[in-house]
Amino acid sequence: MKEIQIERALRISGLLLILGIVVEIISLLWEKPLAFLLFVGVGGALTFLGIVLYLYSLLPPTHEAASQPPPKIS
Amino acid sequence: MNLPSPETLLYALLVITAILIAIIVVRPSITVSATGKMLAFVSFCVLPVLCGSMAASTHIERSKQTKFCLSCHIMEPYGKSLYVDDPSYIPAAHFQNHRVPPDEACYTCHTDYGLYGGVRAKLGGLRHIYIQYFGTPPRPEDIQLYKPYNNRECLHCHAGARSFETNAVHTAIRDQLTSNEMSCISSGCHDSVHNVKDQSKAKFWTPGQ
Repeated sequence: MKEIQIERALRISGLLLILGIVVEIISLLWEKPLAFLLFVGVGGALTFLGIVLYLYSLLPPTHEAASQPPPKIS
Repeated sequence: MNLPSPETLLYALLVITAILIAIIVVRPSITVSATGKMLAFVSFCVLPVLCGSMAASTHIERSKQTKFCLSCHIMEPYGKSLYVDDPSYIPAAHFQNHRVPPDEACYTCHTDYGLYGGVRAKLGGLRHIYIQYFGTPPRPEDIQLYKPYNNRECLHCHAGARSFETNAVHTAIRDQLTSNEMSCISSGCHDSVHNVKDQSKAKFWTPGQ
């Protein structure tokens, strides 16, 4: 179950990053002042979201950590 | 052998990054192994940050170009003023005689040489874009500088230059020029700048003639 969730997060994050890269390429090809806004506002936002989602997918799920029994103290 | 330009390398890096990400999107199971995890980290984190930084740098370098500034319709008369056939017009004389790099003419004179001058220029540029698309842009002849032109921008190149230093007038008022007490361009000495209002009366130089 956990692996499916990670794979799903990786897919969404990857698609966001690919979209971000496509927008970055378009903004570089379009030599107008608005291209910079496109680069920062759309490309940058998509890339940032993609990276954050990927990093978030690396975190261990909190409910699993909470369900583990406490360590025994002898 | 010709080396590829930095822009070509950037495009190549962007495409390679997209391909690596696409491989992991299609087969996320490869991230189970340690090598797969490293590949995912590089493709999803390291390369996008690197690409973004390089693309931002390219955009910033591009925004210094004269053609970039003149790509806004409102700036056209200012671009035209660089070709006025009259050496008393300061921007025209500097541009036509390559006293400023022709490819970065606007940036050379209109970016202050203080600390963070470049950053301030970029923020000003964003403000211009906002006014252009969401505000009411002024007529070209009504455009004014946000603050009086600082002599520092002139002295950045002229201070120490023989023609400047050997001029008796410059030597006599050196302190007033350095302290901005007397302006180079609005004290009656070098006051023909872009003069967009009077452009209809001006003669123009055509490169190559």
